[in-house]
Amino acid sequence: MTPTELAAVFAVALVVLVIAFLVLSTYNAVVALRLRIDKAWANIDVALKQRFDQLPNLVEAVRDLMAWEQDVLTEVTRARAAYSPDAPIPEQAAASAATTSAVRSLFAVVERYPEVRSAANVLALQEEIERLESLIADRRELYNDQVYRHNTRIAQVPAVFLAWLFGWRPRPFFEADAADRVRPTAQVGPAS
Amino acid sequence: MDDPVVLLGVGGVVGGLVLLVRGFLAYRTGTRIADTSASRIASAAVGEVLVSGVVEPAEVTLVSPLQSVPCVYYRARIEDSDGDSSTTSFREERAVGFRIRDETGELRVFPRGARFDVPTRFEERSGTFGDDPPGLRLRAGAAFGPAAADRDAQVAALLTVQPAGRVGDAGPGDGGTWGGGSWSGLDVGIGSRARRRRYTEARLEPGEIVTVLGRALPFDQLDDPEWADHLEEGDPLLGDPEIAADLAAARAAGRLHDDPAVAWGNAAIPGFGIGRPVREPELHEEAHEPALAGAADAERFARTFEIAPDTLVVAAAPDVPLVVAAGPPEAAAGRHERAFLAGLVGAVIAIASAMWLAIAVGGGNAG
Repeated sequence: MTPTELAAVFAVALVVLVIAFLVLSTYNAVVALRLRIDKAWANIDVALKQRFDQLPNLVEAVRDLMAWEQDVLTEVTRARAAYSPDAPIPEQAAASAATTSAVRSLFAVVERYPEVRSAANVLALQEEIERLESLIADRRELYNDQVYRHNTRIAQVPAVFLAWLFGWRPRPFFEADAADRVRPTAQVGPAS
Repeated sequence: MDDPVVLLGVGGVVGGLVLLVRGFLAYRTGTRIADTSASRIASAAVGEVLVSGVVEPAEVTLVSPLQSVPCVYYRARIEDSDGDSSTTSFREERAVGFRIRDETGELRVFPRGARFDVPTRFEERSGTFGDDPPGLRLRAGAAFGPAAADRDAQVAALLTVQPAGRVGDAGPGDGGTWGGGSWSGLDVGIGSRARRRRYTEARLEPGEIVTVLGRALPFDQLDDPEWADHLEEGDPLLGDPEIAADLAAARAAGRLHDDPAVAWGNAAIPGFGIGRPVREPELHEEAHEPALAGAADAERFARTFEIAPDTLVVAAAPDVPLVVAAGPPEAAAGRHERAFLAGLVGAVIAIASAMWLAIAVGGGNAG
């Protein structure tokens, strides 16, 4: 083999090496992205579950003190009942948004009753649920950002070719569908 | 065939390949940073996390060797050259544990096993007559310093205009004490003035923005907090045979205590000697009775010296290498992207050099 042929083989080998590196790195990066999305979702799920567990305690704590505000309590209970860990992500997002909205309504009503607001257990539960709401908001943002990075990556070269080859699809954001964004209303009192 | 042509060609191939390998490594790290969303510290969960915020010192800071600046990480190097050859007369990399703070909270970082991506801050050469470059302020004293007292002191330090150039140079020739025993082999005496010297230092200072990518875990799950809290080239204590022998003898004689209160006495009380003790120390009857710390100071000292078992910290893990990069995530990823592009340029250089070499060698054979 002449020196020129050797140099040509070296050049081809180097180009192949760079392409192979890019393909392997891109594949590994997308796999890692998908795992990060799964982890981010699992972290949201933990916070949703914690809120699910805390809400009955709050409702019980204020039920007797706010007997004439049953509509708002019913709304919280109904929103909580919509939580389903196995539901598709957009449905869970809608249920979570409705629960957040109901909890905010409840807190707004609680503010009007100093004797309720000052009860130690109500105060502690309110703080805990506010902490969980903040945690869910932060983790939702993190999840959506991770999904954005994944969806952007698999739409770009060179990952777009691998996406076609391996059947990678964009992941759903944690946001309610437009149809689910209507705030649920509580039906209070006897049905007419 | 001219030898310089061949040498240049071989140099181009080797240099290009080195650039390419460095580019590959940078690409992997850059992709990890770019593909990981930044968590707010207050809502960070166990597992791989990327957090970005301001560096705050923990218990101690380091003093950088070449400019004597308080920092939590430094990488310093001194190279001597006489025109024909170049030798490294001093090289040191060291880090201590620090905190990273964003608008939601703070997180303790244990740097053992970390890869620091910190750009060079000081790069100067000595003058033609061996005179020191401006800005060189060799460390005189210990490599470790106290952490800043509080945020107000840090803000004041940040707002204080420092004089340019050398301030209080000190070194062996000045009769100064060199810290940490790390300067052994560093020939900085007057006799070496004829050689040109190149100084480079990279460091991470309190108050700077940093991006940390690593594994968040509860403090009590850290294998060995003391070991994880430093990054050094080998253990400075065990590296010294005399200290290692003393330690072995003390251990054999049972003079090394597990309980800090037994080993250190009053010095184990948070705040003792550096502020106000948080509880009553045992003093000689004629000693001056120190005032105890107030609730706020006690809380601060306790926070500085004690980490609750369930507190989340960031450290290296076998499956999640720890990366500490200067600047926000975008800047850190951008640096790695540029390094990868440089690697691709390196590949082009290697190919071009190989072609050139082939033509030169082939032409020589033909002739």
